[in-house]
Amino acid sequence: MQYRASFFMELLGTALITLLEYASLALIFFRFEDLKGWSLGEIAFIYGLAEISFGFMDLFFSGFDPGNFGLRVRKGEFDQLLLRPLNIPLQILGSAFVLRRLGKIVVGVFIFSFALRQTNLVWTTAKILYLPLVVLGQVCFFGGLFIIGATITFWTVESIEVVNIFTYGGNYMMSYPMHIYQNWLRRFFTYLIPVAFLNYYPALYYLDKPDPFNLPTFAPFLSPVAGVSVFLAALAFWQFGIKYYQSTGT
Amino acid sequence: MKLFWELTKRSFKRQLTYRAATLAGLLTNFFFGIIRAGILIALYGTRQDVAGLSLPDAITYAALTQAVIAYLSFFNWTLIMDTIYTGDISSDLLKPMNYFRFWLSQDLGRAIVNLFLRGVIVMVGYAFIFDLTFPNSGWQWLALGISVILSWVLNFSWRFLINLSAFWTPNAQGITRFFFIGMWFFSGFLTPLRYFPNWVVRVSNLTPFPSMINTVAEIYLNVLQGPELVQAVLVQLGWAIAIILAGQLVLRAGVRRLVILGG
Repeated sequence: MQYRASFFMELLGTALITLLEYASLALIFFRFEDLKGWSLGEIAFIYGLAEISFGFMDLFFSGFDPGNFGLRVRKGEFDQLLLRPLNIPLQILGSAFVLRRLGKIVVGVFIFSFALRQTNLVWTTAKILYLPLVVLGQVCFFGGLFIIGATITFWTVESIEVVNIFTYGGNYMMSYPMHIYQNWLRRFFTYLIPVAFLNYYPALYYLDKPDPFNLPTFAPFLSPVAGVSVFLAALAFWQFGIKYYQSTGT
Repeated sequence: MKLFWELTKRSFKRQLTYRAATLAGLLTNFFFGIIRAGILIALYGTRQDVAGLSLPDAITYAALTQAVIAYLSFFNWTLIMDTIYTGDISSDLLKPMNYFRFWLSQDLGRAIVNLFLRGVIVMVGYAFIFDLTFPNSGWQWLALGISVILSWVLNFSWRFLINLSAFWTPNAQGITRFFFIGMWFFSGFLTPLRYFPNWVVRVSNLTPFPSMINTVAEIYLNVLQGPELVQAVLVQLGWAIAIILAGQLVLRAGVRRLVILGG
């Protein structure tokens, strides 16, 4: 917190880009009016939720961000962690707590509250109780992807940018309703990588929209299941990777 | 001038060696572009024409924004800033070459590689998947060529200028980030400027940013033709000259300061 000016600038920068990206969508809605049956308010619901979740994930999991983590492996800093008698993933979680991501979360909450004002969302006890679990599912999912990306750098040493397609790309994709995408793309991100269950299906439940793909009625409640499964699989992959870890020697 | 091309050639060869990064970048461009195209197709629905753009125009526009990211170093560029902080700038300033041209020549090598390996490949790849729009005459292609070159000159001069903020503040990274964010919005990178309400377009036109992407894209899509096209290219040229001159003035002030601090 010593570099206060730089901290506030980063905080503001993160908030600004999140806001402008959303604004550029909101502004063109004057011309387009709807997105395949979804209003701007309804999109704001999934858009805001995705920003909030990704912001929280980034707040906690930045240490695993494959870009940063690859650098530490390359410099040999990771070896230090191995020597300490503490759980290694926990050490990495504690190593980077990127407070500037709060900017993303704050704007996400703003977009989400816009959605609540624009849509006639009927709240029930179940809906209120389930909301934190939806966020948890998304946080676990993207946290898991970060861990998988970090683990791959054990072998490659270089950070592999292709992982960004799934993390940042997945986040971008699920900010919009899944039924707008081409079938092959949507199927890939429903059955192979469970992005659709994290945000889109919960949104159908909250906004009382019919499921265009007729999945079983429990589909909206799979968000925490999908998120936690990916997270556990990522931890298992991490354990496997660490067994084969060889230092770069630097 | 021989020195200029030598530096360009070396930077060109250096850039060619980043094969894995180029491939990863291409995949990312394709993925994000496909998502963007998906959103556009859904937005258009049955609409034939929105603000003068057809659906193929809109998809071509989205592809173009992905194609120029690497060519223009559009996400981040802090090389000059880094040399100011490390002090390496002092030896660069002593080189028997104008400081602006020293960096311009190296950025040119980088830009040429990315124009072809990232830009052209992205556009060709998209043409296989989607129905795209192309410049409709030899003149349009020629104007496009000129406009593409000017967009790089302008964009480089802009990156040069904002990097110099490191002379005055230890927070140049944060400051340039704001400039980059403004550029993404006002250049038409996030959305074609035509879709925006008029007042946003008017504000954008007060900045040099539309000349970096929106103008190039509108020439590519044949939206700009005849006198309008000539005018747009002249605006690009005007901004490029203005920003280059601003860069020279700021550099002079910065170097004076560097001397006072003792490098």
